[in-house]
Amino acid sequence: MIEDDIYRASSQYRLWSYTESSLQSLRATTNAVASERVRAALRRSRETHQSTASSTAGTPLPESNTEAKNKDEKDVECLTPEEELVLVRYYCEKTLELGETYKPPIPTMVRATAIQYLRRFYLTNSPMTYHPKSIMACALFVATKTDNYYISLRQFADGIPGDTTTDDVIAPEFLLMQGLRFTFDVRHPFRGLEGGVMELQAIAQGQGQPAPHLPYETAEDLQQGLLSIAPPPVPSSSMSDRIARAHGTTRELLKSAAQMTDAYFLYTPSQIWFSAFLLADRPLAEFLLDVKLGGPVTATIPAPETDENGLVNPLYEIRSKLHHVLTECSTLLQSYTPLSSDPAQMKSLKRIAKKLYHCQNPEKVNLAAQKRESTQPSTAVQSDTGTITSESETERLAKKRKLEQEQIVRQNDDVFGPELVTQRTKQ
Amino acid sequence: MALSPFGSRSPSMTVHSPNTAIRLRATAAQKSFTEPASAAVSKPVQNGDRELTEQLNIDVRERYVKDKKVGEGTYAVVYVGHLRHDPSSLVAIKKIKVNAEYKDGLAMDAVREVKYLQELKHPNVIALHDVFSSKDQNLSLVLEFLPGGDLEMLIKDSDIHYGVADIKAWMGMLARGVWWCHENFILHRDIKPNNLLIASDGEVKLADFGLARSFADPLFNMTHQVITRWYRPPELLYGARQYSGAVDIWSMGMVFAELLLRVPFVAGNTDLDQTSKICEAFGTPTEENWPGVSKLPYYIATDKAHLVPLQGRDFFMRQFPTAGPVGADLLMSMCALDPRKRSTAVQCLRHNWWTIEPRPTKNEDLPRKSGGTKKMGDDLTRRGGELDEGMFKSAARQLDFGMK
Repeated sequence: MIEDDIYRASSQYRLWSYTESSLQSLRATTNAVASERVRAALRRSRETHQSTASSTAGTPLPESNTEAKNKDEKDVECLTPEEELVLVRYYCEKTLELGETYKPPIPTMVRATAIQYLRRFYLTNSPMTYHPKSIMACALFVATKTDNYYISLRQFADGIPGDTTTDDVIAPEFLLMQGLRFTFDVRHPFRGLEGGVMELQAIAQGQGQPAPHLPYETAEDLQQGLLSIAPPPVPSSSMSDRIARAHGTTRELLKSAAQMTDAYFLYTPSQIWFSAFLLADRPLAEFLLDVKLGGPVTATIPAPETDENGLVNPLYEIRSKLHHVLTECSTLLQSYTPLSSDPAQMKSLKRIAKKLYHCQNPEKVNLAAQKRESTQPSTAVQSDTGTITSESETERLAKKRKLEQEQIVRQNDDVFGPELVTQRTKQ
Repeated sequence: MALSPFGSRSPSMTVHSPNTAIRLRATAAQKSFTEPASAAVSKPVQNGDRELTEQLNIDVRERYVKDKKVGEGTYAVVYVGHLRHDPSSLVAIKKIKVNAEYKDGLAMDAVREVKYLQELKHPNVIALHDVFSSKDQNLSLVLEFLPGGDLEMLIKDSDIHYGVADIKAWMGMLARGVWWCHENFILHRDIKPNNLLIASDGEVKLADFGLARSFADPLFNMTHQVITRWYRPPELLYGARQYSGAVDIWSMGMVFAELLLRVPFVAGNTDLDQTSKICEAFGTPTEENWPGVSKLPYYIATDKAHLVPLQGRDFFMRQFPTAGPVGADLLMSMCALDPRKRSTAVQCLRHNWWTIEPRPTKNEDLPRKSGGTKKMGDDLTRRGGELDEGMFKSAARQLDFGMK
């Protein structure tokens, strides 16, 4: 049994690993289903509204109603999968910030778990159905539970800026867990990085262990090898300093770029940290790969070495395959720039947020109320009142929506207003 | 990296998502047109059309049929059920009760159990086939059906006769299950005879992961209030906040001793009593035999007059003659007071006791007992850290997660 087999048994591999194309098609499907349902829900909400209006007015005018309906329907423009992705990414960045506001801050690992929960949830759910604003706090809270950093719900809700209630936080818990398909384990690249750094520090201090395929190498050979690698991107005072610097840069990349891109869906934890390490200090990362797998892959060696039987050295094959994967992953990580630091991206985000305002599914807005309804034992009487509630609810929401729209025009600078939880989810 | 999205070991999780989505789209469209505008008899609109994940959940739920209740505790209800399309395929369905007093969402026991069982697939760990939620938002775990009862039942029944070859078979299965947990960086933290369930083919399965957790990173604290008292190692009794898989190995040693003696080997009435019984039996921990022990929070120095010297191999051979000298040696290695000197799961498995005579009994020849389904029902509904005797006031429930 090798480590790879253990990883392949993990839920991260079984359920949450994709190829680029399968990921894309899954997102397209989710978006298509949600768009259709948003249109249907908005139609229903209009119908309710109209039937209320017509009964008050007395005589309904069916023809003009149909006309209006057709016109309205054309007006609903839904988000594209790309726009949904930008929105989710923004809330992933917000999750990182939210974790920072606690005293002491919520550990990076827990925040990273929450971000991956959000990303996984929105593979099969659309922001048009469930606004990420109402899911993100819950994702972070669930991550504190699953990652052994438990704080009480009350304490957690109090830590959120604004007046978020415990109900707001916990309402989508079941929904979220369902979206996660009841798998809570997220395998992060952080531990692997720590191991790699410890190994390099040991080599730097002349205490390195040779790899199994190079048993003749001594600790001195390894130390010499390390000291003779190409200079770092930023000059450093000592090898130990250089390793520490690369460690820090890599950690930052893992905390940001690795979380905000599709890295976790496409690559294994060790591929991710190695790719980030390559970006931080290429010669150092290449050295560690040489120690582990031997023989660098360079353009100067055009043909793979073959032994007397004409067989390609298997390590060479592994190394070149790995080189390819790591390059791809590095490119992905490098492509990331935080939304909040990029005016062009922020502008586009604002546009998407406005668009979402018109295509948010009105029936999924009040999660806390829905939770109360669904956890109550259903009797004939209750399902009766339930229908009434949801009808008047729809109407109430329509009014609220209008009010808020006016508000958002006023608050144009800040897309989502100052609070973390959308006002529409509050009672 | 040719990976299959939503590939899974579970038979019901093979639903290919795009298909479901398309089918779902059709259903949703249909519903929205046939739904009466205001119908007191119909369900609220939200239930009429379903989200993709909701539909997946329903697909899973509908694959199983509950047959009868076999156990009920404060924490869960257990049913025997089967796959709808195959009545011969039995499963245990554990429905977690929503605790009205616990306002923080899904209870930690359930979170842990689901999290770790989703990752562990091994012949000696109870299999989690599926998880689904019911309409009232209760969580149900579809577990492997284990009608053979548990090891406790066999130990306690004086009509059951078993020998060292049987013990070797059971211990071997336990050791492999524990090794797999540790290999996956998971601590079980509640190993005891009634968490070792028996399948119809005699295979022993490690169950109840309600107290499990993954290894903490170095220097991170964990709670010491875990593992049912009689099986709790000295470092936890002394309040250690950083520990390793060695805690599970101690519990394994205690199960081994209990299988040999047919009574719990060190059964304290309180945590303090447990500590003193361990000292009496195995020797008093001191800085000499366990460097650093005196720095543990609840360590109490014993005055020289009452010091019990560390027990050697002869003690184990005398106490456990049925194990034979090699078996006694393995047991001793599991019961080292200093967790650093205790064997790891791999070291236990490499011990030569497994290869010497007698060979472990084949599964089909192991002693068994009827009434196991009821026992399974009881075992699966009990909360972690509890003793059935009710002598233990579930101190292990008061977890503080170490990070506050």
